[in-house]
Amino acid sequence: MQGAHNNIYKPAIMKIVDRHDEAPGVRTLKLEFQNPADHELFKQNYRTGMFGLYGVYGEGESTFCVASPETRKDYIECTFRQSGRVTSALASADIGDLITYRGPYGNRFPIENFYGKNLIFVSGGIALPPTRSVIWSCLDQREKFGKITIVYGARTVADLVYKHELEEWEKRDDVDLVLTVDPGGESPDWKHRVGFVPTVLEQAAPSPDNCIAVICGPPIMIKFTLISLKKLGFEESNVYTTLENRMKCGVGKCGRCNVGSVYVCKEGPVFTAAEVSKMPQADL
Amino acid sequence: MTRILLSDKLDNCVARWRKAGLTVIGPVKKETFSSYAAVEKAADVKKETFSSYAAVEKAADFNFEMVMPDRSIKELFFPQTEPMMGYTIKKQDIATEDFKPPAEKRVIFGARPCDASGLAIDDPLFGWDYKDNFWFQRRDETVIVTIACTKSDDFCMCTSLKLAPDSTKGSDVLLRPLQNGKGWQVEELTDRGREAFKEIADQLQDGSEPAAPTAVVAEKFDLDACISWLKNPENFDSTFWKEISMRCIGCGSCTFLCPTCHCFDFQDEGDTYSGIRRKNWDSCSFSLFTMHTSGHNPRSTQSARWRQRIMHKFNYFPGKFTANSCSGCGRCSRQCPVDMGITETLQEISTLKP
Repeated sequence: MQGAHNNIYKPAIMKIVDRHDEAPGVRTLKLEFQNPADHELFKQNYRTGMFGLYGVYGEGESTFCVASPETRKDYIECTFRQSGRVTSALASADIGDLITYRGPYGNRFPIENFYGKNLIFVSGGIALPPTRSVIWSCLDQREKFGKITIVYGARTVADLVYKHELEEWEKRDDVDLVLTVDPGGESPDWKHRVGFVPTVLEQAAPSPDNCIAVICGPPIMIKFTLISLKKLGFEESNVYTTLENRMKCGVGKCGRCNVGSVYVCKEGPVFTAAEVSKMPQADL
Repeated sequence: MTRILLSDKLDNCVARWRKAGLTVIGPVKKETFSSYAAVEKAADVKKETFSSYAAVEKAADFNFEMVMPDRSIKELFFPQTEPMMGYTIKKQDIATEDFKPPAEKRVIFGARPCDASGLAIDDPLFGWDYKDNFWFQRRDETVIVTIACTKSDDFCMCTSLKLAPDSTKGSDVLLRPLQNGKGWQVEELTDRGREAFKEIADQLQDGSEPAAPTAVVAEKFDLDACISWLKNPENFDSTFWKEISMRCIGCGSCTFLCPTCHCFDFQDEGDTYSGIRRKNWDSCSFSLFTMHTSGHNPRSTQSARWRQRIMHKFNYFPGKFTANSCSGCGRCSRQCPVDMGITETLQEISTLKP
């Protein structure tokens, strides 16, 4: 796992080959490795759920998930909201510019354990990117899974990310897509649901039998979605989520991302709801 | 009969090691000015002392009288700030330059057992999965010659941590001061230590002079009782944390002086054309340490941060690497501006019901 560099904190250089505006302030970058050895290592190690540190020299590094699936390793996609120094620098980078990447780090969604099962993905706002990595990893080997349902919501219609992919999923007859926006966030031509994600999830009422739930969203959404899933009869051990915390090193040394004794960067970021409920809630 | 190094041979040893290309480092006390104030005559200028492990040229530069230097040995392996790489950005090209720690061989003569133990405690942290070579290159090229303590102060607490004033943990050679004060008994512990002492073999002699008694360090708390209290999940939300940390001002001194605190931050120094990426000490006492971009802060209060420091040292860290992340030097209490520290906290915890 040590990587091509003797210096574990030295990032790989990536070229921006494409970029896409997803929502106001939210942008996706498509990145390609410049050094074949770095790319080889990524191909060997990357599995869906892992994260990386994306950066610009002179500004710093920021942690986000790898938004592209493990079934497509020729490139990396990352989606982020422009909010601080590093994300502003990333947002102002052009196609052809070089940025840095360290990773992949952390654990993963054990999707081979999901073979033969129904899957429900529940996601809110800017949290679709980590979920999308798992969704495509499954859709790219669609025959291995049962029914696939995606419940996705955002505050407003404009805030929905990956709009082009939402359209694609909507057209597929092997995916059930349930879209919603918070009350007041709908546009005049909005044809989908209006309501908060947990409510809409309860209305969709997926059966917990032989089903795995993957949820990702802001803490408040997670909290109420867990309650809804419990109501629907889901076991905590069949519910997966991904945590995030501030990170600097990504490799378990800098000492800040732990929740209780659990290092999110090494033991996470993917946990079952059963694991999360054992953590000291005040530290989340 | 034991091998003995006499104090008056130390000058030769320092010269010999230096000639062999080693940097010799030891406990050094320096005078420094403390603050600006009106003076009438030269004698009014107040000076404070400042002590650390620093390079020496001759035996007279050492100060073995101190209980321990103000600053821990950590900074010799994990400097307060250290360049990791340089970068130069030109149009469509990023050139980077790797910085490595200076490739110097060093001997630290006169480390305290608590400081040497601290290094051994942090080795597994810097080595798990990903090996931090900034740490290990220095570890591999440094010989640690520890002197057992014959005196202690009220803040010393190695015995409470199940270590001792003559612990060998982390040391390559252990010296025990002679009863007559004229030198040390020599106990070579590792190959690295034997190698370094080969260089000065002719300066050693056999002798039967007894060693001075090691310092008496009273046990200040029941570590096992504290750990079982910390491990009880119910106590995570105890009001104890608020009470004990009420006067913490979050200055971070305890973490910077600690021989085992290892938290760090990266900062870029320069602009988007050229500069240096540095690794700097950071502290769990600071509110920005865990602050998310969104403004959410998992450890938003000083009591949550102090709880993290204690829990990390005595619950989380030993859970991952077996040893507690504390070697009992007592610097956190000794130099805390508001008189709190690990000793006070664990003493209080000892009295609580598990």
